Amino acid sequence: MKISRRDFLKTTALTSLYFAGFGGISNANAGTKKNLVIIMLRGGMDGLCAIPVKGDKNFEKLRSKINLDRTLKLTSDFDLHPALKTFKSLWDENLSAAVHATNIPYTGRSHFDGQNLMESGGKIPYQEKTGWLGRGMKTAGLTGKGLALALPMPLLIRGVPMNNNYFPVGRYLPYPNTLEIIKSAYEEYDEKLLSENLEIILTRDFNNRSSDDAWILASSAGTELSKPDGPKVAVFEVDGFDTHAAQGATDGAHADCLSDYDNIIRSLKSSMSKEAFDNTLVLTLTEFGRTIKQNSSNGTEHGYGSAILMAGGLLKKAQVHTDWPGLKKKELFEGRDLNSTIDARSVYASAMSKVFDVEFERIQKDVFWGDKLNNLSDKLFKA
Amino acid sequence: MKNFFRKVAFGIGPNEEVPSDPLNWALNQIDQIPEFSWKGKILTEKELRGHYRDWVYGDRKVLRKKYKDNKNLYKVHKDQLRHETGQKFWESLEISIRHNEAINSNNPVLAKLWMFWGNFFAISEKDFLANYSTGAYQREIIWPNLNQSFEKMVYDVTTSWAMIHHLDNSESAGPKSATASEDWRRKKKEPATINENHARELMELHTISPKAGYTQEDVIQLAYIMTGWQHRWSKKNLETGNIWFNSEYHQIGKKNVLGKEYKKGKKALAVVIKDLVNHPNCRDFVAERLCRYLITDDPTQEMKQPIIDAFQKSDGHIPEIHKAAIKVAFEYNDKYKKFQTPENWFIQVAKISDLNWPPSPDLMDKYELGQKPLDSQRKPQRLLENIGHHPYRAKQPNGWSDHSDDWISPELLIRRLVYAKASFNFNKMENTKKAEYYEKIVEKNFNNPSKIMKYLNQKSRSVAKHTLLFNHPEFLKA
Repeated sequence: MKISRRDFLKTTALTSLYFAGFGGISNANAGTKKNLVIIMLRGGMDGLCAIPVKGDKNFEKLRSKINLDRTLKLTSDFDLHPALKTFKSLWDENLSAAVHATNIPYTGRSHFDGQNLMESGGKIPYQEKTGWLGRGMKTAGLTGKGLALALPMPLLIRGVPMNNNYFPVGRYLPYPNTLEIIKSAYEEYDEKLLSENLEIILTRDFNNRSSDDAWILASSAGTELSKPDGPKVAVFEVDGFDTHAAQGATDGAHADCLSDYDNIIRSLKSSMSKEAFDNTLVLTLTEFGRTIKQNSSNGTEHGYGSAILMAGGLLKKAQVHTDWPGLKKKELFEGRDLNSTIDARSVYASAMSKVFDVEFERIQKDVFWGDKLNNLSDKLFKA
Repeated sequence: MKNFFRKVAFGIGPNEEVPSDPLNWALNQIDQIPEFSWKGKILTEKELRGHYRDWVYGDRKVLRKKYKDNKNLYKVHKDQLRHETGQKFWESLEISIRHNEAINSNNPVLAKLWMFWGNFFAISEKDFLANYSTGAYQREIIWPNLNQSFEKMVYDVTTSWAMIHHLDNSESAGPKSATASEDWRRKKKEPATINENHARELMELHTISPKAGYTQEDVIQLAYIMTGWQHRWSKKNLETGNIWFNSEYHQIGKKNVLGKEYKKGKKALAVVIKDLVNHPNCRDFVAERLCRYLITDDPTQEMKQPIIDAFQKSDGHIPEIHKAAIKVAFEYNDKYKKFQTPENWFIQVAKISDLNWPPSPDLMDKYELGQKPLDSQRKPQRLLENIGHHPYRAKQPNGWSDHSDDWISPELLIRRLVYAKASFNFNKMENTKKAEYYEKIVEKNFNNPSKIMKYLNQKSRSVAKHTLLFNHPEFLKA
């Protein structure tokens, strides 16, 4: 049963990877290079499946069909889904942590609006044309040659010019002098975006005939991030968290998605130099959590509060940081979802402030329009 | 003006006449919905669903049990089952039918609009829908509705097997329904709950859009109305049975959506759809999407208004909506040029350079169930995935983006460069030999032929000319 389910998911759960902020470190005293990796978990990650709360009878009752029959131990209050093996081993070295009962300030429960907002960082869907990470990079002066490893450029890192992406086509490009002719035509027609992109293609040094296997890309990400002049920002995405049906417990559909995430951090950890991983933050991002209660298809519906999984050497310690809202009916959001007591954007703003060496207030103002956010750097990240 | 033929269709082939009255040429293709011009075998949605059934049943109910202790044997037999049910072939056949309609029919404008609606009511990549069912859904649900009312289109889409499966409505059970009090639910601890997915998308993507300002409660109430619309489940057919209204799953009592009350029962779905399609936001949304598809990323009110008016005046008759959109596209033809999505771009490449594309009906008809399809038979699916735009494998139910920026990145640009070059492999020998081949293409499709020819003549080899032509800024937009 398990094997075929897994195979099926492999065909549907697209995992892809992006890089950005290649080179161009603005920091004058560019001593240690720091990296920020964002893993987008599309479909609505169930924070309570990844990090279930302990000993809540009501919770167990509401999820009788999808409760985990075995878990890994995290704290006195929280357990960990057994699929998150790498996360656990990092935890034991103080290299992973989580923020729980958190989400972007969006309660509409639509994937499309929610994913747009988790990437734009805004409040009105489709209003912003840039992503919070792109704006953060711009604020930090991380323009210049960026790199991405997938076909489309995610909204998340738009907002800083000259982002690059890479997802090997497996064929030779046309001859350079043919490309030069095309470039002149773009310039003649004042096609700025096309020109910029072609310029990147012409000047970069990548093998277009390599494999586009997700795990090969994931490990090249680690290698590139370890280079002193390599990218400073990488973005991955994992699809398939929208488990309306057959979410399952220990081995279900949500477990497979969590395992995809876990494989990415494993691949990153093993391909990065120790120094690079020590100077890296890897954070997840999702559009919403899922309902407390299972539905009749042993799945869950779109909810609100979720969790942010964090890894990397810039974390202060292994911890589940939360202002726990409780799971009694009256404590739930609209009587059905885990509440969000921490604006997830506070976590991302703090992380950008930490990694990009930009004051929190400036990120808050330039990236998030001065919205009320809290600086969590002291609580979550190393000084 | 010549870009108009690519804006509302796919351009003019080197051996075709350029229509003297472009607007009427386009408008005349709208009213009748002909048979597909594909000469090869076409399977019905039901036949393909039968193959889907054989796949899910064979895998889930037979192979998994039979080979539960031997994963290698399991894999071998599963691969065999894939071929026995045509899993690797149908989508290439469907794309061939689709592209043939765009390239070799007398109604390329209709084909382009068919693609629009197919994406508007997208079935995204889920389970094995693209392998078996999505193409057939496009042919049997979207295509015949292109000269019907928008209301009928929405109803047929909403009650189609593909959409119900895609958006999980079969999983939705009214908490106050007959099934809710069944003993087995208590025993198995499976209380009846709704699944909001389909209801939400019916409003958000298929009719009024979030701009209409509906609430979570409206979504829940619409989901209640939709409870009971599901596939007919059976031990033999699993989830591949026909769609029916199962009153035992239907939420009893009245519902209220956007301030209006609806009675319980099967008929309420048609009533609420009627109200949704007559909501002002629905007209605006359809007009906006059509303008964005054909004209510009940022449609203006002036652009949208004639389409909105046509929608209202004709009670949502799709041909009238189409005619209004084409007239607007014609009016703004010189002012706005829309960056073409990769699939549209590739069809235009094939059309204007008269490529051997799509694969011929003869080649596709040689396929037999149980066979592993030939590489040449799988080309359509692979090519579209490689250019980053497989129409039946959108990542989300909102389909593929129609915003230009989403289609411009180094890697997507590389795909155009590489596949413009590779398109030469599909060239017909007799064409390349003709001296006037490129002159004809350029003359028929570009407003300033001498300038384009000068650009092309910087290279002497045909393969380089292909690369240059299909990456020229004027060709990338229409």
